[in-house]
Amino acid sequence: MNSFWIHIIHQAIFGGIAAAGFGILFNCPPRIIFYCISSGAVALAIRTACQSANLNLPESAFFAALAVATAERLLQRFQQTRGSIVALVGCIPMVPGSMAAKGLTNLFALLQAHPGEEIAAATNGMRNLLEVTLTLAAIGTALAIPQSIYPEKEASVKTKTLP
Amino acid sequence: MSSETKDSRLHSSAPAACGPPLSDVARFSLSIGRLFMEFGESARMIHEEILAMAHCLGCDSAEVYCQHAAIIVTLRRGQEFCVQMGKVGEHGVNLRGSEVVKNIVRRVSEGDLACSVGQAQLDNIQRAIPSYPVWLVCLCTGLACSAFGRLLGADWLSFFPVLVASGVGQWIRRALLVRKRNPFITTGIVSFVSAYLAGFGSRLLGSSHLEIATVSAVLLLVPGVPVLNVQTDVIEGKPNLAAARGLRVMYILLFMTLGLVAAQRLILQGI
Repeated sequence: MNSFWIHIIHQAIFGGIAAAGFGILFNCPPRIIFYCISSGAVALAIRTACQSANLNLPESAFFAALAVATAERLLQRFQQTRGSIVALVGCIPMVPGSMAAKGLTNLFALLQAHPGEEIAAATNGMRNLLEVTLTLAAIGTALAIPQSIYPEKEASVKTKTLP
Repeated sequence: MSSETKDSRLHSSAPAACGPPLSDVARFSLSIGRLFMEFGESARMIHEEILAMAHCLGCDSAEVYCQHAAIIVTLRRGQEFCVQMGKVGEHGVNLRGSEVVKNIVRRVSEGDLACSVGQAQLDNIQRAIPSYPVWLVCLCTGLACSAFGRLLGADWLSFFPVLVASGVGQWIRRALLVRKRNPFITTGIVSFVSAYLAGFGSRLLGSSHLEIATVSAVLLLVPGVPVLNVQTDVIEGKPNLAAARGLRVMYILLFMTLGLVAAQRLILQGI
């Protein structure tokens, strides 16, 4: 097995662990924790593969989130009112929290920058925050796409009695 | 609940032919909306649930206006109409809480449960929501942050310190939020403590990735679900709610970074 596949498996395992941890933190029902692990693992594996194919972070996160959201939607006969819990929890490990912290830290560093270093500090901070914004937009959009394209609702008494 | 709910106007010209009083339906709608908001649901889901429930209880039309700190509901049934406003408490994420609320709403909509009984169940919902033991939540949060550390490229030496630091951080966060402390101050304190413990432990064990360890330990504070709800609210045409949620997310990230920077100053000194 070459280093590429070892890296993918490594990312998938720890993506699954992170998704499970956040699933418990969000008080996810126990019956779907296993799906959350799978979702996180698949998302991180796809994102890593896309990044290996020279896609940037927002693009990679978009394709990974789209894949798990589509898979979840296809596996459900009717769309749950809540939307996609499993896909949502699976995408949490892709939220670039560390990059957001790094971007803000770089902006703080701007306050202490020596003359001549301001531009580099500001550029790094803005680049990080821009990447965070684009990645979040990519994940949010990708999660919304399958539900918007195929929004078949669950047939229940509620929908039958609607005027 | 009744003190939080304010009847703005209630006009009633004739009793409804069937179904509970309109003011009760409005109060029930507000409780549903408030709980869903506090459990981290998107505005679209809240609108859909309240609208479907109101129609099932005989309302001709229902309008819901969700804001970050309040919800306004307008219901019409024949010649009657009712407008009520209710406050929303601290926003969090509780997926099993949402399921319990949804279950109550479904039973009321399908006629298995009276509106007043459903209201009583919503008023006492905290007892009805199953939850994981605190130690398990802290352990899993620690594991998640350690996994983040590995994803970010930290070495194995920092795995255990990050796990312990994040677990302690989650325990402190829960203890402070239960006591209704300010969520932003809580974020700053938890960030500092978690980052400091993770950095200190990693340094003791000889890890060479102290910066990654400190960052990983505070990732439990990143408001992932609210961030994605901001996206959903923007895409679905609720910019006011999205803006309020976004501003809150920014402040949480700011306080998290302040705590992290302070801890890194202490830990990374002289390296």
